[in-house]
Amino acid sequence: MAVDLAELKGMIEAALPGASVEVFDEDGGGQHLRAVVAAAQFEGLSRIDQHRLVKAAVKTRFDDGTIHALSVKTSVTG
Amino acid sequence: MADPELKSKVEELITANPVLLFMKGTPEAPSCGFSMRVVQVLDQVDVEYGAIDVLPALQPLREVTAEISDWQTFPQLYVNGELIGGADIVEEMFESGELAEALGVEQSQASTAAPTAEGLPAQSPPLQIE
Repeated sequence: MAVDLAELKGMIEAALPGASVEVFDEDGGGQHLRAVVAAAQFEGLSRIDQHRLVKAAVKTRFDDGTIHALSVKTSVTG
Repeated sequence: MADPELKSKVEELITANPVLLFMKGTPEAPSCGFSMRVVQVLDQVDVEYGAIDVLPALQPLREVTAEISDWQTFPQLYVNGELIGGADIVEEMFESGELAEALGVEQSQASTAAPTAEGLPAQSPPLQIE
């Protein structure tokens, strides 16, 4: 199944309303994806918890094997 | 549902090792770029750490860490019993100096003075999961 970057971006945005989200396909083959997420909801959370929120948002795409590796870069806004 | 025996073994290892890395391959021969990146960071902070190769039991260990830490991908770095993160977080924390703080070590740029044998990273012997 092809990786749908727009879908992944939408899933993260839905989980973190108001967040600024960019999803990149780093190698062009969908194997190494990178999400850059800035959200006010990250305030007060450890990095690991910030990443947990992002990964949880796209969990179904990990579970169904569409994506294998997602690098995450988070920052707090607001 | 994770294997209870393996889970308690993993919990014991996490408790027994203040700095513990679950990785693909070994520190000398990482089998994955993400694991290699964490090893390189740990070498630079010059901290002693235990390393566990997850490849011989990848899926069972995924199930265990999913239950323990809500995290299924490797590498995973545990410090004082807590999951700190994978390669992205470890690198970010290294760059910001937070990693040295979490590890309780001085982060020196001049780690070349470290008395490691033949330039090998300081570390404990490989740990085995049977």
